[in-house]
Amino acid sequence: MLRLSWSTFRERWQLFIGAIVTVCLGVALVQSSLLILVTAATSGLVEAIALLAITLGVSTFLAVFIVSSTFAFTVAQRRRDLALLRLVGAGRGQVRRLLLSEALLLGVLGTASGVPLGLVAMDVQTSLLTSLGFVPPDFAARWRDWILGVSAGVGVGVALAGVLAASRRAGRVRPLDALRDTGEGARVMTGARWFFGLLFLAGTVALVTVSAFVGPEGAIPLTINAALTASVALSALSPLVVPLVGRLLGLLLRGSTLGTLAQANLRDGVRRSASTAAPLLVLVALLVGQTGVLASIDRASVHEQRRDLAGDLVVTSTGPGAAGLESVPGVAVAAERLRVPMTVTTRTVDDGEVETETEDFDAAVVDPAAYAQTYRRAPEAGSLADLRGDTVAVGSGRYPLGAELEAGIGGRTVTLRVAAVLPQTMGGGEEILLPPGLVPDPVASAATAETIVRVEPGADTSDVAEAIGARGLGEVSTLDEWITASASRQQDTSSGIMTVVLGLSGLYALIAVVNAVVIAAAERRREFAVARVSGLSRGQVVRMALVESWAVTAVGLLLGGVAAAGTLAGIAGATARISGVATVVVPWELLGLTVAGALLVVGGTNVWTTLAATRSRPVALVGAGE
Amino acid sequence: MTAPAATRWQQTAGRTPAAVELRGVSRHYGGKHAQVRALDDVSVAFAQGSWTAVMGPSGSGKSTLLHCAAGLERVSAGQVLLGEHDLTAADDAELTALRRSEIGFVFQSFNLIASLTAEQNVTLPLKLAGQRVSAKAVRQVLASVGLDERRRHRPRELSGGQQQRVAIARAMVTRPRVLFADEPTGALDSTSARQVLRLLREMVDGVGQTIVMVTHDPAAAASADSVMFLSDGRIVDHARAPSAAEVAERLARLEG
Repeated sequence: MLRLSWSTFRERWQLFIGAIVTVCLGVALVQSSLLILVTAATSGLVEAIALLAITLGVSTFLAVFIVSSTFAFTVAQRRRDLALLRLVGAGRGQVRRLLLSEALLLGVLGTASGVPLGLVAMDVQTSLLTSLGFVPPDFAARWRDWILGVSAGVGVGVALAGVLAASRRAGRVRPLDALRDTGEGARVMTGARWFFGLLFLAGTVALVTVSAFVGPEGAIPLTINAALTASVALSALSPLVVPLVGRLLGLLLRGSTLGTLAQANLRDGVRRSASTAAPLLVLVALLVGQTGVLASIDRASVHEQRRDLAGDLVVTSTGPGAAGLESVPGVAVAAERLRVPMTVTTRTVDDGEVETETEDFDAAVVDPAAYAQTYRRAPEAGSLADLRGDTVAVGSGRYPLGAELEAGIGGRTVTLRVAAVLPQTMGGGEEILLPPGLVPDPVASAATAETIVRVEPGADTSDVAEAIGARGLGEVSTLDEWITASASRQQDTSSGIMTVVLGLSGLYALIAVVNAVVIAAAERRREFAVARVSGLSRGQVVRMALVESWAVTAVGLLLGGVAAAGTLAGIAGATARISGVATVVVPWELLGLTVAGALLVVGGTNVWTTLAATRSRPVALVGAGE
Repeated sequence: MTAPAATRWQQTAGRTPAAVELRGVSRHYGGKHAQVRALDDVSVAFAQGSWTAVMGPSGSGKSTLLHCAAGLERVSAGQVLLGEHDLTAADDAELTALRRSEIGFVFQSFNLIASLTAEQNVTLPLKLAGQRVSAKAVRQVLASVGLDERRRHRPRELSGGQQQRVAIARAMVTRPRVLFADEPTGALDSTSARQVLRLLREMVDGVGQTIVMVTHDPAAAASADSVMFLSDGRIVDHARAPSAAEVAERLARLEG
């Protein structure tokens, strides 16, 4: 069986090259992300770990997704060959094993090329993480020997997982199919497609619904998952949608011969269309969905802070300075937030063993009365008036009211009681508030203070700002400027994450799309030749294929848009619940770029492959039996 | 020739036992309302060591008859017996086993696996059956179709006639009880076609191979021992060792 797989491989390498590249890339990324992750975990770089975990998940998912759609496609294309094997005595199991051993070969080749590529990827990823500020400049991930085993497991595992469904379908190919000329099975919309399509669709709906009810930290991973499940669902159901769009295209291009032909081909080659549309779908769903979600959360948090903060100016200084500010003429309230790092250690008893977990927080030391005057929302539970002595106020959903926390502040360990739980926010709110007196003076005087200043009624804000500046009490900005600036800082981090994750999925989608287009064209030589002997010029054939491929691209983009809209609907719900106003930001610019890029890549590849497929004289191809 | 007399048609050559027998076989396509009867209560026995050509106009059901007789298609009613095996009751695993040992196929479009050499194509059924392949036996089979020299070539490096001979060698390597041939000369020039027909004749005369062959070429049909004519899913005529002209004349009558 392995020998037969190998000769198939050599003969039809175009069918597999995309899948090998995909597996190779998957192995490389999993390997490098994992090595960096292990090193980062020992150094406690939390943000980097989260990012790497997302990268790991997305690259594994995309690799399996693309390998499986490639194999689904090749099984359809090779239906005759597989049926022929059945005809000369191959059992169902043997046909299945043939595909599995092809996958094995694919996995081995992918691993062999992926491991060295992984070393390059590790350098690139490390420098990317360094430049985005996720890891310190001297960070270096270490090679570990066990990773070879993991890489091989990932490579072969991804290939086998990807081929599983296709091999089952291949086992069901009937011997009689060898004698029929149809390239693909009549029924593309199989029971499995219905099952997984609807299952993942239900999963998406559930995720989107749930994401509207959790905090923003939960909403982001949930919506990433929703984008992935939506992609699977819609690509499973795409055979239903593709012909529909084909009909629409027919209406648009009525009267033009090439348009009619392209429409007929679309209807005829449902599976071919679906494999081109699927990766585009994933790309748009991830790219537009995620960027939109992050931008929406950022904008919602800006809205929220504008609504909740009552003040005119923000003064940034080193060390406590509220007292000095209060003496400036025209200042009514000066509410200081002194930023100090703090840890909370929790102990849980599990199977008789005590497990300790220490979490880092960015705490703010505040004067409760002044804080309440510049922040319009009341605590969710408890009261800020109780925030004195050994107490603490915590952000929503962390610790219950009255809980005792083992806190580390400036090298000292104190036990603090939760006196208030702050209201839930979109991300702009405080994690932990401390009353004055808990922080040792040397720590306090080195800390950064952000003081929100409210001017007295009748006083001129800019005069007050000038006065503060003149006294050298710190850097003054208006409240609005300060909110916008901190939001854009937040957004920089988000877009850093997005660059890494989306760049990655973009690359995968690119490979998958080019792969599908190349496979499709290689298998259509004869069809193109028939079109030419029927009177179409080479240019017309190329144009027909181009129209067709753009229609398929449109389907993919459209379905991706639907999936993205789903995730955005989830975030609209979340923002509405948390901040009161449904906030959705659609990244139009990115959407436009994606659409243009997809049309360009698919169109370009298509023209190139069609030209290649129509190079020889048509008569030579039409005559050939095999 | 009246239809009722023709529906039960027994080939009587030498009174040898039947290699394949169809008993009251019908095959319907389509739903309840638009049903097509591709085969309508056909009973026929193909005697061991005989070569029968099946002819008929397009849509007469001759391919369906071949597919049903070879267990490639399920029958709607009736029974297909291949020696002691009941094909209509066999499951997929049993049919697979039969394809490995009892049934050989040759088709118009050669159906060789493009990535394998002639020799590999021929040994494929044995390997799939998990049998040990003797290189000598394989070369013998290839030599018997005159292609020993070209055993290392891939299908696309061979002419149509040569490809068809590789396909015959592949079908014969398992020494099947019956060889089913569907338009084996349909894609060949007349010289290659004659060569293939001569090869089939040698197999029948030499080792007593049973062949059931669907064709629309009167010259090919005339090479067979007898010719059976189908129309609208029923056997309507038969002729023993007719000439090509006679076959063409009977066929024209059916089509007219």
